[in-house]
Order: sequence, then C-alpha cells, then structure tokens
Amino acid sequence: MRLIERIFLLEIFKGLALTLKKFLFAKPVTIQYPEKEKVKPAPGFRGRHALVRDPESGNPLCIACMRCVKVCPSKCIYIEYEVEPSLKKRKIIRYDIEAIRCVYCGYCEEICPVNAVVLTEVFEYLGFKREELYFTKEKLLQNWDEFIIQQKRPYLNPFWRPRGYPEKMLPVKKRTFTGV
Amino acid sequence: MSTPLIEITSKEVSINNYEEPFYLNLGPQHPSTHGVLRLVLELEGETIIGCDPRIGYLHRGVEKLAETLNYNQTIVLSDRLDYIASVANNVVFCLAFEKLFGIEVPRRAKLLRTIVGEMARISSHLLWLATHALDIGAMSVFLYCFRDRERLLNIFEKICGARLTHSYVRIGGVRLDFTQEIIEDLYQFTEEFPQLITEYETLIDVNRIWLERTKEIAIVSAETAINLGLTGPVLRGSGVAYDIRKVRPYDAYSEVEFEVPVGERGDTYDRYKVRMREMRQSNWIIKQCLDKLKETEGESILAEDAPDLLLPERVREPEPKPHPKKGFVFTGKEVPVVPVGEAFASIESPKGELAVYVISDGTNKPWRLRIRTPSFVHISAIPELIRGHMIADLIAVIGTLDIVLGDCDR
Repeated sequence: MRLIERIFLLEIFKGLALTLKKFLFAKPVTIQYPEKEKVKPAPGFRGRHALVRDPESGNPLCIACMRCVKVCPSKCIYIEYEVEPSLKKRKIIRYDIEAIRCVYCGYCEEICPVNAVVLTEVFEYLGFKREELYFTKEKLLQNWDEFIIQQKRPYLNPFWRPRGYPEKMLPVKKRTFTGV
Repeated sequence: MSTPLIEITSKEVSINNYEEPFYLNLGPQHPSTHGVLRLVLELEGETIIGCDPRIGYLHRGVEKLAETLNYNQTIVLSDRLDYIASVANNVVFCLAFEKLFGIEVPRRAKLLRTIVGEMARISSHLLWLATHALDIGAMSVFLYCFRDRERLLNIFEKICGARLTHSYVRIGGVRLDFTQEIIEDLYQFTEEFPQLITEYETLIDVNRIWLERTKEIAIVSAETAINLGLTGPVLRGSGVAYDIRKVRPYDAYSEVEFEVPVGERGDTYDRYKVRMREMRQSNWIIKQCLDKLKETEGESILAEDAPDLLLPERVREPEPKPHPKKGFVFTGKEVPVVPVGEAFASIESPKGELAVYVISDGTNKPWRLRIRTPSFVHISAIPELIRGHMIADLIAVIGTLDIVLGDCDR
C-alpha cells in the first residue's frame, strides 16, 4: 500500500462511492411483500397439495392405485378405498395428506398415472393447530377449487407431463393429457 | 506455558504456579458458528491454545434412514445434507446409483446437470462470501450477495419448482427440461455476473480492515492441508491444484474448458481469492454449457433404461413351465431388482470433495450408504488451524472453511 493510499483512505472511499452510487441510481430490489406487492411463484412451484376435481362429474380423478403412497419418501399419504361391484372400479373413501410431514418433492404428482394429485402454486397457508394442516379429501378438493379459479384453463402442471421425458416412458393417460 | 487438555486433571503437578486454564464455550446457538456448531475453547488471555469441536446437534441419521427408503427416495434425503447447494448432493447420489445400475445418462441431461451444479456453486459461494464478510464486519457485501443469490434462486424455482430443496436430479437424468425462458434468464445472468463480482471486490478486496482480518490468518501449508484431508477451495488455497472436475471428470466437465484457481500462501485471504476466481470460472462453464445445449435441442433428458421412480420390491423373471392342462404356466424365480454390488462416486461440491459409497444386496433399498462430506473433515481441522490465534480470528476461520452443519452431522 502506497503512502498516499494509506493516508487518504482511498480504498475505503472507493467502496463508499459504490454504495452511494447504488443508493442514488439503482432500482430498489426489496419487495414490500405482504403490504404492497405479492410474490408470484413460477409455474410448477411445489406448494400446497390438492386433489384434482373432474370438471364434468365433480369427483376426484383418483383411481386408488396406491402408487403415490408407495413412492412418498416421508410416507405422509393415506388412502382407503372400496371397489364398486358393478363397475369393478376402485373409489377412494379417504385420501389424507399430512402436510407437516410432507417434504414437497413432487414425486406423487409425477408418478400419478391419471394426474389426480397436484402440488399447487399456493404457498401462503398456515395452521395454528396440527389438525388444520392435516388435509382430508374434502379439504384437498377445496384447495383445488381455490387454486383453479386463479388459473387459466386448461391447467397443466409441468410435473404431470415432464418436459423432455421420452414419450414411451409415460403412462397412456399422461401422454394424451392436455390439462383440466 | 500452554497446558494440554489431558493434563488438567493432575492438579498436584505444581501447586504454587499452577494456573487453571480458562474454558470458553462457543455455541451451539452462536450466530457466527454457521449453524449448531459447539466449540470448547481453552484460552490463555485471548489466545486460543486448545479447541474441541463438539458436533452432532443436527444429526438426523441420514445414512441409516437411507437404508429404509428406496434408491429414488434417498435423493430427497440428500437435499437436506448441504442445503445451500442441494443439487450437488443430488448429483453425487445419482452418479453412484447410476454406476451401480450401469446406466448411461443422455448428453443433454449431463449438460443440464453441469449447469445446475455450477449454479449451485455460485449460489453457495455467494452465501459464503455474504456470511464470511458479515462475520468479519462488512455489512454491505452481505446485502449485495443476497441480491444476486435471489436471482439464482428464482431461476432454480423456474427450473424445478423449489428454491432450496430441489430434488431436481433423478437416476438416469433430470426431472424437467429447461424452457426457453430459463435459458434466456441464465444467459442474462452470465452476462451480468462478472461485473457483480467486481462490485464485491471493490468493497473488500483492498479494504484495510478486510486485509488485516484475513491476511496471515490460519495459514495452511500444502502438506498440512493434505494431511488434514482438506479438499475443495481450502486445499486449492494452499496451492494444490486438485479438482475432481479435472482429475476424474463427471457429467459434462470433460467437454468444457475451465481453469483451476490456486492460491500461494494458504491463508484466509488466498482462500477468499480462490473462491472469487472460482465463481468467474463457474460463470464461464455455465455459458459454455448453454451454448452446447442448442446442439442437443429436442433430445431426451432421461436414459431409456432408467428405473421408474417407484422401484418394485421384487421382480420375477417369467419362466415358462409346462403344465398338463393349461399348456404353460409362468412361475418364475425371483431376480434382484437392482444389480448386486457396490459403487463409489465423488464430485467436487462447492465445499469440497463429496463422495457416496453404496452397497446393494439386490433389493430396492441400499444395504449401506456412506456419505463422505467435506464439512465434517473441515471441522476436524479447526483445532489445527486456530492454535495460537485470537478468539476473533476463530470466526474468520469458521467462515473461511465454509462449513454447513447439516452437511457435517447428516
């Protein structure tokens, strides 16, 4: 360090000049989050869970194949089902997701062969008790209703049909799915 | 003068001039220990003569937990190791599993992995610089670094839908392809980032307080660094050009050009310099990969023989057997779901050498999963580095090693 630099604190003034420049001319990067601006998550953000409601019949699309239960790393999905004798189709009685245990990996929505479960882009949710974050079937369908009014129809989550996957590795329903 | 920790119990040595050592407990809830690190310091005045790191406050049993989950589910666990750069952990898990399964990853997926890995390196180094400078006393660097890290996190959010725990890489490829919007964002970032690094350097590079606090602090010679098992920027700061990206290239690192920055003296300032230059190199790697990404437009991002997310518990090989009435019956004997054997993979994570060793017994779950994390080794080097320094320098040493306690305790 030369003598002039040592006496006149040149490097400190250089730093202060940068701060002053930013203070006067730069656009503020702070977001006044809850009061003035809302943060909009990117499409495909893994947020609050929902069960997709069939737009025609109003029932969940789920066929109770139990794949999401098996793939879940934190084992937070519980399904009970009954078999309709006439159609020989499975129908869910109970579909519960424990949101506190969930790790939001999105494996369930990726593995689901009929795109019945989704992690929506809603991230502002909370509960004062554990029970409030224990999503039952009715609550999950309600979550979907709350979410889908804000979205453009047809809605297609990126994880339902992952970009760039080879076609033949997807189940038939996922291949032809164009959104709800 | 200095009394070793072991001899404290024998008080009768010399009653007259025996001075009881002064112990200071630092942590586990101290803001500048970067998490829950507890250090028991043995002091003489303000000089540290002994240091005893106590770890394990963030132990979650990831290695044992991995034995109860199948191969794809363990990748979710890996997000929680080094939570600053979770993609790097995802990559090393997948590399080990792919070596075990014998899967060749498509080129586009390799390029995508390289891009996200380098993004993770930049975001980790930015957080390191921010907290390191904040610990030493430079507040504005912290604000600038977080401003730019936010941009990277926003890009991560567009890529995979999560900002911190990505789970982006999967066995045989990656989970989502890039969109044109992400590529444009990244191009813009790589254009602007070198000037942003210059901004941080204007603030602290020649600042006399910064120089006083970092120069000649915690000098590690090349020999000591190798003996202590240090890796990553800490080793390179001592002048050893050891980088796994060059020595054992994985993913697409053999295709791209980059330099391995090394320091000279091996003090805290050199390690700072190495990391700053590494960020520039990472930026360059991202740019090269984005250019190469155009060549592979429209290619698949998942290997053809990649296992399903849901690995089956048992697989039967169909084996036709003649039956007196039904013709043939397929009974079949059980075959291993995944090949039996073991695999080892290591990568250059932002903090150092991160390695995974996995043993498979043929079921869909790993029989044993061992993770070698850089933070664990680096914490064990703190007593060696800090001996003879002041307490205030301890904060600089913890900062310069760039430790994450989730990575250390796992």
